[in-house]
Amino acid sequence: MIWSNFILVLVSSFFLWLSALICHKNEFLKRLFILLGTVSIGIFIAFLWVKLERPPLRTLGETRLWYAFFLPAIGMITYLRWRYNWMLLYSLSLSLLFLLINYLHPENFSKTLMPALQSPWFVPHVVVYISAYAFLAASSLVAVRGLYQHYTKTLDRKVLLMADNLVYLGFAFLSLGLLFGALWAKEAWGHYWTWDPKETWALITWLGYLIYIHLRYHMPTKFRSSLWILALAFVILLVCWFGVNYLPSAQFSVHTYSQAP
Amino acid sequence: MSIKKPIWQQPWGYAESFIISFGVLCIGSGLELVLPVNQSTLIYPFNLILGLSFFILLVLAHVLFRKTKIHAFLSGIPLTISLVSALSFMVILMGILPQIPSQQNGLIQQLGLNRMTSSYPFLLINLFLLIVLGFVSLRKTVPFKLKNWGFVCSHWGLWIVIFAGGLGSGDLRRLRMDVYENKTEWRAYDDQDRYCEMPLAIKLKDFLIDEFHPKLAIVENKTGDLYEAQKPSMIMIEKDLICRLQGWKVKVEEFYMTSGRAGDRYYQLSDFGAAPAAKVRVVSPQADTLQGWISCGSFNRPHESLKLNEQFSLVMTVPEPKRFSSEVTFFTPDGKKQDATLEVNKSVTVNGWKIYQLSYDEKKGRYSDKSILEVVRDPWQPYVYIGIFMMMIGAVYMFWKGRESVSE
Ligand code: HEM
Repeated sequence: MIWSNFILVLVSSFFLWLSALICHKNEFLKRLFILLGTVSIGIFIAFLWVKLERPPLRTLGETRLWYAFFLPAIGMITYLRWRYNWMLLYSLSLSLLFLLINYLHPENFSKTLMPALQSPWFVPHVVVYISAYAFLAASSLVAVRGLYQHYTKTLDRKVLLMADNLVYLGFAFLSLGLLFGALWAKEAWGHYWTWDPKETWALITWLGYLIYIHLRYHMPTKFRSSLWILALAFVILLVCWFGVNYLPSAQFSVHTYSQAP
Repeated sequence: MSIKKPIWQQPWGYAESFIISFGVLCIGSGLELVLPVNQSTLIYPFNLILGLSFFILLVLAHVLFRKTKIHAFLSGIPLTISLVSALSFMVILMGILPQIPSQQNGLIQQLGLNRMTSSYPFLLINLFLLIVLGFVSLRKTVPFKLKNWGFVCSHWGLWIVIFAGGLGSGDLRRLRMDVYENKTEWRAYDDQDRYCEMPLAIKLKDFLIDEFHPKLAIVENKTGDLYEAQKPSMIMIEKDLICRLQGWKVKVEEFYMTSGRAGDRYYQLSDFGAAPAAKVRVVSPQADTLQGWISCGSFNRPHESLKLNEQFSLVMTVPEPKRFSSEVTFFTPDGKKQDATLEVNKSVTVNGWKIYQLSYDEKKGRYSDKSILEVVRDPWQPYVYIGIFMMMIGAVYMFWKGRESVSE
């Protein structure tokens, strides 16, 4: 079975990315090692696909493998465009975490997802959301820093620009996540949007950041209220991610999978 | 700080915008109280005519008034923000209050807060947003500047999605068909069980289902409720499984996915209705050992549990589906035939209808000879998709461009 070679992927990606970290001073080597680590996961997926004679999207282990592949890909694209080292570090660590979980729980390789989740849309939907949360969380951290600087009268304009940029990137991913979700739902069930509590809260989050973006565009000098909005928007984001299950409306959600068996 | 401008003096800003949005919410709620429940769904060609008129009026108003202060206000960010805030407020209510029909008739029901998406405040705010979004998009599109293409994609995209999605909802037909193995069905029914004839017939050749193994669970004898339902308290059965379930140690000594009882034990069997069964040995916290057979039964066989003590029993849960699919043949009035496999997440389009695998006879489980299909016709879908793809392009543009280019 090809899964018995999985340890090779884990080890090679780990060491390649470790090498990238060690020689991070050398741009070329760093990028090369990151690329090679990602490609090795890609090759494994390709082999798996050929061996199984179907797209490997059916089990928990298989979908984790795709996360582990796409996250570094997004991290790299972001890095090439924006030079955010932290995003690179975040996506690579998360990718390794997914590989590690797969390695420690080999039963996941055969654990099938519930039929509704066996879809090519599942992976992009989740990966894009993971990326959106990373950017938006980062933007809120920056906002808190900005507020601190504001109240200690040391506010640096760069901080605001940084926060705005992170919101733009995060909002782009959040929009893609919602749109992928809508397309998936339409293709799979015939509705774009069912106003399921999780969807509703995702929309609230999206609207919150939409307000922030327009407010900043309109009144770039009134940064204090914007910074507060940004810091608070993260609270909504957390509600969306963790809190939804505790709301009275949650008993009707399709997103609270009582974990796939 | 600039000098405070008296309210309602041009140019209008945030204060006026929020008052107007609040007013719209109040008017909507008032309508909700006095008018009957809004159920109007426009169908073709009325939705098309209304949509076209709306669009033409919007463009006309834009051309005529584009230099006025009121147009600047109607396509400005303050009004946008107040309307989006009002929308968020309603969506937050929707995220908290369950959206289900209710027998009660309190304020929540009177104001339509339990069916928000068809309530008047919601519709009015969305209509207003559509006007504002239309004006700003028109303003940014003509004269066209190349640097605005990202804006054009995201704003027109959203406009098209709301417009086409809203108008098209009346033309959306969503029906169900129950098809039985080796029978041909051409009738479909809606959610009020009204039957109608379809312009296509479906023959179910085979219904296939693949199941997970059943699980072990402990239930209370008196109520039949799952014991300690909070904790993960069910374990999937495997051959030779040894596990700890609440306080008990369970060993699976024999396990058959399909079996039947004969005498004092179960045998592997592949009859119609043959059910899963397992022979288990249980060691209680007090180190007593019990042994016996459990089975979840099937539609034609009884289930069997193992009594652990006066309070609890060990049971086997009904297996859950791993995947299910229907092998079908479609017949259309023009005499064409088409074979296909329907599966969850894998729909097939025939003659303008999209056919989805929905469910099956859950009582019979793997022996179901009935497949429940959903058939959907949505003529406006291509237009909504155009909007969605434009928004996607807008999002990618946003990622690439960032906020960098905007100088303060
Ligand atoms: C609810 C619907 C929306 C309305 C009513 C709206 C309205 C507006 C308005 C009035 C402006 C100011 C344009 C100007 O005065 O030049 C604007 C700018 C902007 N909007 Fe929206 N907007 C909406 C949705 C969106 C969405 C969905 C996005 C992103 C995907 C977005 C992103 C932007 C951006 C990036 C700008 C700045 C434009 C620029 O850089 O030239 N807006 N919007």
